[in-house]
Amino acid sequence: MFDIVRNNRRVVQVFLVLIMLPFAFFGVESYISHLGAGDDIAKVGDNKITTQEFRQALREQQERIRASAQGRQIPPGVLDSPEARRAVLDTLINRHLLSDYARKAHFTVSDQALVQFISSVSSLQVDGKFSPEKYDAIVAAQSLTKEAFEARLRQDIVLQQAAAGISASSLTGKTSSALWVNPLFEEREVSSSMLKLDQYLSQVKLAADAAKTYYDAHSKDFEIPAQVRAEFVILSQAALMNQVTVSEADIKAAYDSHQDKYRQGAERRASHILILADKAAPEAKVAEAKAKAEGLLAQLKKNPKDFAKLAKENSQDPGSAAKGGDLDWFARGAMVKPFEEAAFSMKEGEISSVVRSDFGFHIIQLTGIRGDKGKSLADVRGEIEIELKQQAAAKKYAEAAEGFTNTVYEQADSLKPVADKYKLEIQQTGWIAKGVAGNGLASNPKLLAALFSDDAIKNKRNTEAVEVASNTLVSARVVESKPATSVPLADVKDAIEKQLTHEEARKLAIKAGHELLIRLFKGETVNLVWGEIKNISRINAEKMPLSSVDAIFKSSTSKLPSYAGATTPDGDFVLYRISKVTPHDGTGDQRTKALGNQYAQIVASEEFAAWLAALREKAGVEINQKLLETKEEK
Amino acid sequence: MAVYDLEEQEQLEELKTWWKQYGNAVTIAITIVALAAAAWQGWNWWQRKQAAEAAAVYVGLEQAIGSQDAKKSRELAGALIEKYPGTAYAQMGALLSARAQVEFGDSKTAHAQLQWVVEHGIDAMAKDLARLRLAALLLDEKSYDEALRQLTTPPQAALNARFSEMKGDLLSVQGKKTEAATAYGAAIASLDKAPKTDGPNPHAPYREMLQIKLDSLGLPVAAGAAK
Repeated sequence: MFDIVRNNRRVVQVFLVLIMLPFAFFGVESYISHLGAGDDIAKVGDNKITTQEFRQALREQQERIRASAQGRQIPPGVLDSPEARRAVLDTLINRHLLSDYARKAHFTVSDQALVQFISSVSSLQVDGKFSPEKYDAIVAAQSLTKEAFEARLRQDIVLQQAAAGISASSLTGKTSSALWVNPLFEEREVSSSMLKLDQYLSQVKLAADAAKTYYDAHSKDFEIPAQVRAEFVILSQAALMNQVTVSEADIKAAYDSHQDKYRQGAERRASHILILADKAAPEAKVAEAKAKAEGLLAQLKKNPKDFAKLAKENSQDPGSAAKGGDLDWFARGAMVKPFEEAAFSMKEGEISSVVRSDFGFHIIQLTGIRGDKGKSLADVRGEIEIELKQQAAAKKYAEAAEGFTNTVYEQADSLKPVADKYKLEIQQTGWIAKGVAGNGLASNPKLLAALFSDDAIKNKRNTEAVEVASNTLVSARVVESKPATSVPLADVKDAIEKQLTHEEARKLAIKAGHELLIRLFKGETVNLVWGEIKNISRINAEKMPLSSVDAIFKSSTSKLPSYAGATTPDGDFVLYRISKVTPHDGTGDQRTKALGNQYAQIVASEEFAAWLAALREKAGVEINQKLLETKEEK
Repeated sequence: MAVYDLEEQEQLEELKTWWKQYGNAVTIAITIVALAAAAWQGWNWWQRKQAAEAAAVYVGLEQAIGSQDAKKSRELAGALIEKYPGTAYAQMGALLSARAQVEFGDSKTAHAQLQWVVEHGIDAMAKDLARLRLAALLLDEKSYDEALRQLTTPPQAALNARFSEMKGDLLSVQGKKTEAATAYGAAIASLDKAPKTDGPNPHAPYREMLQIKLDSLGLPVAAGAAK
C-alpha cells in the first residue's frame, strides 16, 4: 500500500492539494450536507426536506390539533389524511423557500434587535418586565441551549421579516375595495314563488328496470364488508399487576432507602427585625445600621419577650413590622440564602445573632418548625406498594413478551394455552367490519390486517402478537366470520325508486322554472302567486339558501322588476321577483370599514401566496409522492 | 533523509524539470484562484455588511410606521433608498412606506416610492407588486389611462389574477361592464390554472371575492368566462 504512495508521490501530492482546496475555501459543511440523501421527501431548490424532518413536523401538527380539541373526539382522518400530510409538507416547503430567500437577500437580525424582541415578548415577562429567570426556564423547557434557542429565534424573526415585507405592505386602493364591499351591502327587495317538488313527483314515469340499472351501476354502494367476531388476550403491564405480590419487607426496604424522598416539605415560621443596609450602601451607613442591630440584639438578650414590640417599633420591613415581625410559614427557597440558612439551623424559640443579607441586618426569632419528620411508612405504604408492583409487572412483562409471542404462534389453534400460561383472560369482541375504523383494538391497522387475513379467517389461526400500544401485546383469533356480500336488490328497490323519482321530479321542476323565467323576462303575464316582499343583502339574507342568494344577486337589475330562480336543498325550485335595488354608497360606517379590512387581508394573502408560488417556481420543488404517502411503522 | 536512493533521485530530478517548465503557470493559476476566492468572499462580506446596516434602518422604519410617525418614516425610507439601493431592505422599505404614506395622506410620496421600486427593485416580483399598487393608487385618483399603462406589461405568472382583477376594476368603474367581466373571468381562470395539490387551496377566499365582483356586474352568465 505504501509502495503505491511512494511510487506515485506526485499524483498523491496533487490529489491531496485538490481535496484540501475546497475545505480551505468552502468549509467542511459543503461536503457533509450532501451526505445522507436518498430518503428526502421533497427537494426545494438545493435544499432537501428529509422524511425525518417531515415526520417531526407532522407529529407537532397532530399534537397541536389534539391540544386544541381539548379532549373532544377528533374524527379519524383529520390527524393523518393525505390533505393533512400535504398541508404539513407545504408549510415546510414554504418555510424553506422563505429562508432561502432571506439567506440570499442577506437578511439579518442584529443582536440589539434580538434583545429588543426577547424583552418584548409578554410570555417572558413578570409584572410587565423582562424576567431572566423565566427566560431561562422557557429555554430549558425546550431542552435547547441558549445559543441554539436564540439562533432559532433569529431565524424565525428573519422569516417573519421576509414574509411581512410582502404582506404588510399590501396596498389595495379604496376603489378596488369598494367594488367588492358595496355589492355585499347592496339591498334587493324580493318576493318569491315556489314550485314544490311534490307536485312533479306524480309526473315522473320511471322505466321498469330503472332501479336495477341503478343498482348495477352503483354496486359498490351496496356492498357489505366482511365481518369477524374474535376472541383475544392482552399481555400488558397492567394485566400483570394483579399477578405480582410484594412483601412487607420489600416495602420497608424501599421506604428506608428512599428517606430523602419522603422527607420533603420542611417549613419554618419566623419573625424578624430588619435594619436596612443594602449592598451598595456606603460603609458608614452599613456600620451605623449594624450598630443599631447589635443594640437591639443586646436588648433582646435581656428581654426575649419584647421581640414583637421591638419589631413593631424598629423593623424597617414594613410588611412584617406591623405584625410584630412575623413572616408566617415558609419553605426552603423562599427567603434570601443567609436568612434561610440561619432560620433552618435554629431551634424553636431561639433568637439569632445579627444576620447580614443583601437587604440589611436581620435579627431572627424562630417561632415554628414543621414538616421535618416527613411521612411515616404507614402514610406512604400504598404508594410504595403500587410503585414496586409496577416495577415487578414491568419486569415480568419484559420476561413474558417473547414467550407470549412464541406461544401464540406455536400453538396457533387456540388462545387457551397462552391464556393459561400467563393467567390471562380470554375476551370477546363484537362484530368488526372490514375497512371500517372502530374503537379500541379494532382501531389498530396491523391487528385488523391480521384478523382479516386468510390465515385468521379460513384457518382460524391465532394472529401474531401485535404491539398495539407500548408494552401491550395482543393476539386475537377469529371465532365467527361473515364474508363480504351485497344488499339484495329486493331490499333496496323501493328506496332506489324513491330516490330516482325525486331526481327526475327535481329536473322537471327546474325545467318548468326556467320556462317560467324566460316568459317573465319577456314581460308576459304569468299566473304566479308572489309571497311577501323581503329586503335582503348578500351579508344579511335572512336564512335564505346560498344558491338563492347567489341567483338573486347575479341577476341583472338594469330593468325592474327582474327575476331569478334557484333550486333549494330540498329540491323545490324557487322563482324570485326583484322589485327594488338599494345600492350601498360605501360611506364609512363601521361595517363597511370592517369589510374593507377584510378585503385588504384577502388581497394580502393572495399576493403572499403568489409570491411564494413565484419563489417555488424559481427554486423548483420536487416531491417524493411515494414517501409522502408512506405511513410510519408503528 | 539525506540519503536518497537512485530511484528517488531520479524522481527528484524529474520533479525539478517539471517545476521549471510549469512552475510559473501553476503559481499564477493558484494565485488567480486564491484572488478570485478572496474577492468573492469580500463581495459577500460587503453585501452582508450593507444588509446588516440596512436591516437596522428597516427596523427603525417599521417602528416609525408603528408609532404613526409620518415624518420619520419618510426620512428612513428615503435613507434606505439612497444609501442601500442594492439591498432587499430598500425595496421592502419602499413598499412598506408607500402603504403607510397613503394612510398618512401623502400619496405623492407613496407614488414616488412605488415608482422607485418599479425602476430599481431587485426582483421581478417586487417590481410587479409595485406596479400593481401604483395602479391601485392611480385608480383611486381616477387616472384610469395611467393606471392601465402600469398593467400593460404582463407580470410574473403568479400575479396574473391580481393584474386581471385590477384591469376589471378599472373597466368596471368606467362603466365598461362586458370588458370588466372578461377581465374578472380571466382572473378566475388564472387562479384555476394554478397547480393543484391535496392541501388546502390558498387561493379560495380570493377566488370567492372575485366571483362576487364578477356577479355584481349583473351580466348574463355567458359574458364572463367563469361559470
